[in-house]
Amino acid sequence: MRGELEEIAAHLRGGGRLRAGEALDLYRHAPTHELGRLADAARAAKHPERIVTYIIDRNVNYTNVCVARCNFCAFYRPVGSGDGYVLGFDEIFAKIDETIEVGGVQLLLQGGHNPDLPLAWYEDLFRAVKHRYPTFRLHALSPPEVIHLSRLSQLPVRTVVERLIAAGLDSIPGGGAEILVDRVRRLLNCYGKATAGEWLDVMRAAHEAGLRTTATMMYGTVERPEERIEHLFRLRDLQDETGGFTAFIAWSYQPPHTELGGIEATGVDYLRTLAVARLVLDNFDNLQASWVTQGGKVGQLSLAFGANDMGSVMIEENVVRAAGAAYCMDEVEIVRNIENAGFVPKRRNMHYELLGDPIFRERPVPRMLELAVARTGELDAPPPEIARYPARSRAEKVRRTAR
Amino acid sequence: MAGDRESGPNRASLEAVAERLRAGGRLASGDAAVLAATPDLVALGALADDRRRALRGDRVTFVRVCEIDAVAGGAGQDRLPPRAGEVRLVGRPADIGAAVAETSRLRELAGPVPITGFALDDLVDLCRADAAAVREALGALREAGLARVAEARADAGDDPRWIELAVAEDLPVARLTVASADSDGLANARRIAAWGAAAASVRAFAPLPAVAGPRPSTGYDDLRRVALTRLVVDNIDSIQVDWRLYGPKLAQVALTFGADDVDAVSPIDALEHGWRRTPLEEITRNVSAAARVPIERNGRFEIGTARP
Repeated sequence: MRGELEEIAAHLRGGGRLRAGEALDLYRHAPTHELGRLADAARAAKHPERIVTYIIDRNVNYTNVCVARCNFCAFYRPVGSGDGYVLGFDEIFAKIDETIEVGGVQLLLQGGHNPDLPLAWYEDLFRAVKHRYPTFRLHALSPPEVIHLSRLSQLPVRTVVERLIAAGLDSIPGGGAEILVDRVRRLLNCYGKATAGEWLDVMRAAHEAGLRTTATMMYGTVERPEERIEHLFRLRDLQDETGGFTAFIAWSYQPPHTELGGIEATGVDYLRTLAVARLVLDNFDNLQASWVTQGGKVGQLSLAFGANDMGSVMIEENVVRAAGAAYCMDEVEIVRNIENAGFVPKRRNMHYELLGDPIFRERPVPRMLELAVARTGELDAPPPEIARYPARSRAEKVRRTAR
Repeated sequence: MAGDRESGPNRASLEAVAERLRAGGRLASGDAAVLAATPDLVALGALADDRRRALRGDRVTFVRVCEIDAVAGGAGQDRLPPRAGEVRLVGRPADIGAAVAETSRLRELAGPVPITGFALDDLVDLCRADAAAVREALGALREAGLARVAEARADAGDDPRWIELAVAEDLPVARLTVASADSDGLANARRIAAWGAAAASVRAFAPLPAVAGPRPSTGYDDLRRVALTRLVVDNIDSIQVDWRLYGPKLAQVALTFGADDVDAVSPIDALEHGWRRTPLEEITRNVSAAARVPIERNGRFEIGTARP
């Protein structure tokens, strides 16, 4: 095996592209340090300036009501649940104000597949945000959400994407990819929300419409190693075709409080998966560290295993927290970790364009010692603007009639 | 794929050190500083991992510890977790008499499980650094049932004679620890290495601080310290990492950066989250996933069988 690994390493050093069998061999058999060395060299070839980027933004989940019912998700609530919520436009504006106060430049806006939020709700929200905050960016609606809107509105995906762009959508996050293999998606009960092909088709449509997007992988559920590798190669193929992906982010499944249950993949597995991703995804410029699932320490170690981006300051996070992980890193902490690893920290935007040095070195910024949540305290009545859109679910119709 | 990791004299120095270590040589004067200065964490980790493998193969030992507060005592406690491989008295006792009394009380409860306890520097301090008094105290503790002194703090003093005295009294120190988050990891390692054979009776060195400082360490800090310690300290068998304090993720990665012994695994197999989440399954799974062979040991470092 040693000889085979050396052959693969030589193949890579010669500028060759990794083949699926080679990637699987590396993942299964390469010593962890060898993987780290290869991935770090690949990272260095793309980013010889030793810059590690990060973005100041906020993860806002506009609703937790969802009909998809993925069995790995601890965040969603079924239609009619007393714990279900929809954020009002004013609440979202307040979150944007807080984000701008700490130097933030965008929202990562994702949510459940809520049947009572039609396409017009999203269009009105995006227009309202752009009207109040013209330079603020919306990195919003993962492919399954776009498909959900396509189904609700009975419009083609391309039309939905075009209408969302017209309303103010700036880029699409790569959520909902899980593992892009339909056998796995059926087992995770997420085949219905988007097949692997449908997920990729939304991204293809978005890229062709001029949007840049990210790609993700949630591993550690029921997939086999070769299915992780297949996922990476499907992303690499689409990137060869469109060049529209800005970055790749891998994170481990968080089992607590989910229907699927089980155990979380280990830290070593995360670093090995990340390193293999860096080697397979030779046409992706950027790989993010997932400190939100791995914690700050292993998150920082990602920088030695192929990552060149520390992701987002995040400010708020609800989905991973619902599954029990509650790590927090504000800008000061992210910058400290980047510099401690021997890199130069730079703020970026969603297109990975450099915005400058750490904002806290330019002006005072409040420290953030824990991530905010979508809502605190008792759930209020639904926001008033909801009444402007027709209810679709029986539960929502009954609720409105009762009021 | 040209790397940016390091170039020029630093890279050449690191490679020279690596070449010497791979050839079976020892660190030369100045080598530790080269290792400490390299930004190439993975290269440093690979060297430490090679050293660990040469010393210990792929075995990773772990111990399930039941801690009892030496100050508050375990009054009212009528049994101990049956899965514990070590009962450890922690904290500074009021005096030697209290330490002996608490050890005696635990002896019956612990049965065959080794009792360890106390920090050697605390015991020395309680005896006002009087060698005869220390000798007498160690003898009394041994008679009361103590199997080993739980720890000697590597950053609390620079005098290994107390460790030798403990060996002479047949109450050896189980492990060296680091108390202060501010102490210099390389300086600690160099000091311990300089003790030579005097430290050889100590079975493990836990180089990561037992108490977090006001500014938490980073992953790079922790792994650099573990790797450097493995490379510099050649007079102690095992480099240890604390499962409870540093968490499964960091501790597991540390097993690929030179550590080979895991302390403070919980002895309580709570089943409310299913058997796969029990401490034994968790440690076994993590060690195996790091491509190591997990072996449970007890507080005397007596090992059981390898776990599948």
